[in-house]
Amino acid sequence: MVYKPKEIPEDINVTSVHPLINFAYLLGTVAVVSTLIYVVLGAIATQLATRISPEMEAKIGQQLVSDLAKKDKKVDAKQQQYLDSLLADLQKSDSSSYTPLTIHIQKSPVSNAAILPGGHILITATLLAEAESENELAFVLAHELGHHVARDHLKGLGRSLVFLTVASMLGIGSGDANVVGMTGSLTNLHYSRQQESAADVYALNAIVRCYGHGNASLDFFNRIQTEQKDPRGKLSSYFSTHPLTQQRINDLHQIASQRGWKMEGDITNLPDKIFDEEPNSKSNQES
Amino acid sequence: MDIVFVILLCVGYFVGNYLEKKHFQNIKKRERQTIHVPVVTFGAKQELPDANEAALFLGSVVVSADYFKMFASSLRNLVGGRVVVYESVLDRGRREAILRMKEQAISWGATQVVNVRLETSTIGNRTSGKGLVAIEVTAYGTGIR
Repeated sequence: MVYKPKEIPEDINVTSVHPLINFAYLLGTVAVVSTLIYVVLGAIATQLATRISPEMEAKIGQQLVSDLAKKDKKVDAKQQQYLDSLLADLQKSDSSSYTPLTIHIQKSPVSNAAILPGGHILITATLLAEAESENELAFVLAHELGHHVARDHLKGLGRSLVFLTVASMLGIGSGDANVVGMTGSLTNLHYSRQQESAADVYALNAIVRCYGHGNASLDFFNRIQTEQKDPRGKLSSYFSTHPLTQQRINDLHQIASQRGWKMEGDITNLPDKIFDEEPNSKSNQES
Repeated sequence: MDIVFVILLCVGYFVGNYLEKKHFQNIKKRERQTIHVPVVTFGAKQELPDANEAALFLGSVVVSADYFKMFASSLRNLVGGRVVVYESVLDRGRREAILRMKEQAISWGATQVVNVRLETSTIGNRTSGKGLVAIEVTAYGTGIR
């Protein structure tokens, strides 16, 4: 056999396609598929938020607050009792809440309140310490209650609601997950302007029903307007997640006058020293 | 962050493409220069052609993919299919390894290289999927004269 040298043919082992065209196809496929998934997840999440059963929501909530439950034990029983009764007063003659609500007092340097799935209301001790009257505290609670009734907290979870639901259905809950870190992001849920003002109106309605007037309930808001430049800057943290403008106060006053809600009346004081800065210190326990 | 990524991608694409083109030109030129010596795979269980002398020759090369190729292949990993961008890398590796073996054999005076085998191995961290993505291609055969 005689060896006849010949040119080695190209394009046998290398596909003759321009790398950029190949890349564009890839990118296109990935982009289209991820957009599809995103849209479908969004649609499912919206459906879930309005149709999820209370049992399922409770399960999800349980996952989210399983760590918080342990922390609660350190909290002053008096405070807990007081908040529970305040919440019960606010809910009176209103059956629109679909699950029983639990209040969790959190030790945190920021002043904030949030509602989690399953009817768990988180409220920080700092916010309680800053409250100057029962009315304004009640407004904060009622505001969160308003979000709860409107299922804003579920809508706010967005697409992660789908994953949370699936996880709780499969029982692969986040038992040991860093719930504190998670609640950090949970309390930063973004509600739309409409959701916020709807919750405001709900809150004011509940306040008026409960106290007969809306006086002092907006003090938290009014104070922040004047104290925004306060070097303490503590109060502002609640409103970083609950944006408040003069517009919102005005809107509330307008609605109040439209519906004939009284905005004048006696201010209900907080029980003596119940929410002082150091609730666990001896002097406060004795008082 | 994003701008760094885009710069890396551009550097990977343009520099990688330029170097690859140059390498392929170089490979083609050397293949034409060495085409007179046959490189064959038989010889393992067949009789070797009559020869006075035989020696082992080994050519080995390590080639790496550029950032663009790595990114394109990671996208490919999502959907599966032919990783076209790596085909050229492997082709370069194989042909370069054979050429290195062949050039050694020619300088030794080989009339042909028989029983040629090719092997590849990956270099770098395969578990994390990051870092160096490189392959080593080894070609070895028996040169006879």
